Amino acid sequence: MTKKISHEELQKIVTSVPMLSASASQLLQLTAKEDHDLIDVINLVRNDANLTARVLKVVNSAAFSLVNKVTSIDRAISYLGERIIVSIAIGDCAGKLFQKELSGYEAAGGDLWKHDLRTAIASREVVFQSGVDLNPALAFTAGLLHDIGKALISDYLQGSVIDAVEIVSAEEELNYLDAEEILVGFDHTQAGYELAKAWQLPEELAEVIRHHHNPANAKEEYRLLVYAVHLGDNIAMMGGFGTGSDSMRYKLDNNYKNYINITPNSLATVMLNVDIEFEKLESSLNNSGDET
Amino acid sequence: MGQIILGVGDYGASNSPGDVVKTFALGSCVSVIFLDPKSRTVGMAHIALPDSSINKAKAAEKPGYFADTAIPALLTKMSKFGCDKRGKGMIVKLCGGANVMDTNDTFQIGKRNALAIKKILWSYGMGAIAEDLGKNFSRTVSISVAAGQITLSSPGKPNWQL
Repeated sequence: MTKKISHEELQKIVTSVPMLSASASQLLQLTAKEDHDLIDVINLVRNDANLTARVLKVVNSAAFSLVNKVTSIDRAISYLGERIIVSIAIGDCAGKLFQKELSGYEAAGGDLWKHDLRTAIASREVVFQSGVDLNPALAFTAGLLHDIGKALISDYLQGSVIDAVEIVSAEEELNYLDAEEILVGFDHTQAGYELAKAWQLPEELAEVIRHHHNPANAKEEYRLLVYAVHLGDNIAMMGGFGTGSDSMRYKLDNNYKNYINITPNSLATVMLNVDIEFEKLESSLNNSGDET
Repeated sequence: MGQIILGVGDYGASNSPGDVVKTFALGSCVSVIFLDPKSRTVGMAHIALPDSSINKAKAAEKPGYFADTAIPALLTKMSKFGCDKRGKGMIVKLCGGANVMDTNDTFQIGKRNALAIKKILWSYGMGAIAEDLGKNFSRTVSISVAAGQITLSSPGKPNWQL
């Protein structure tokens, strides 16, 4: 029923996706750098009037229930933190892609964004709870972007959900990546990687997109980050926020233990914190967007 | 006819024959279902984690979130519909508790949830007569109060009954 995507077609799909806005792109570059300052983030946002307005709207939304209205962008950004600024910037310029209905996975519109947001929060929480030496904001951003390839190949997977589930159920070694590749010729990490290149994302983010299901294949220098998102992704699915038919149908790479130390108790704390933080973040991002 | 939708950590009960009690996309979470034939009441809790000791404040605010606080809370709620406070005579069914593939012990939250729930049920002298637990796919569950019929669904699979 499905048709394989050729390399040329994949390139066509990638080029049909709108580019990131200049400020979103610069934000991703900047926040990926280990030694950047918050002041650089502030200056970047200040130069984008739309983004400034959105950030102020979010900080003053009911979710944060601040007593006094925040009118300065400096204060808003220090209060919200980098990760929320990145979420706003990405949501603004690539919202359509993230909010897309993934009919090829039988996932409703908005499910991908929710899964990505949960993965982002979980990846960051994994960093906190395990105490690994990794920039938590980078783990968040990487989590937000990790599954972008699904939005690219979903249309081509339309009508294939029964077949895909059959493929992964028939053989124990096969996971949903294999099903995607069998059905349309590419899995979502390969497609996402092509978009990462087109968007000129920093290499560490591209590596996460490409290897988040197989962290061992990532370049050694980024492997810890990729493992953090690998765990964050699985935690998001375990918490009931997958993207439809593929949810939980991937392998956990138990070698994460060589990079990240997480106990059953700290995992439980991560899962709980993800629920708490997600509720807050989702409502603040949603309620501030539509009226502008 | 009403739909009672339960989110993560919610619990609810109904004895209105037209109602449907439903919860979406159980991953490692487990849905505990109590059916009381005498009062024709259906109760369900959507449990996320096995043990409330990690966050007592959350447990006080949302008892349905943890196995050890959800079951007493659900029983108390159902007692208001005339059910036995300690669950006597109730039919118990469990579903959910999935695990991602190749998980190690740490990540087997689905399994730990199911075990914790069973342990607490034992302490009440209760036990599940039917369960659909584990494996590696998410489940959506709905129960019609009138028939006490439990329907499960998962993308790519035909619906099934429990």
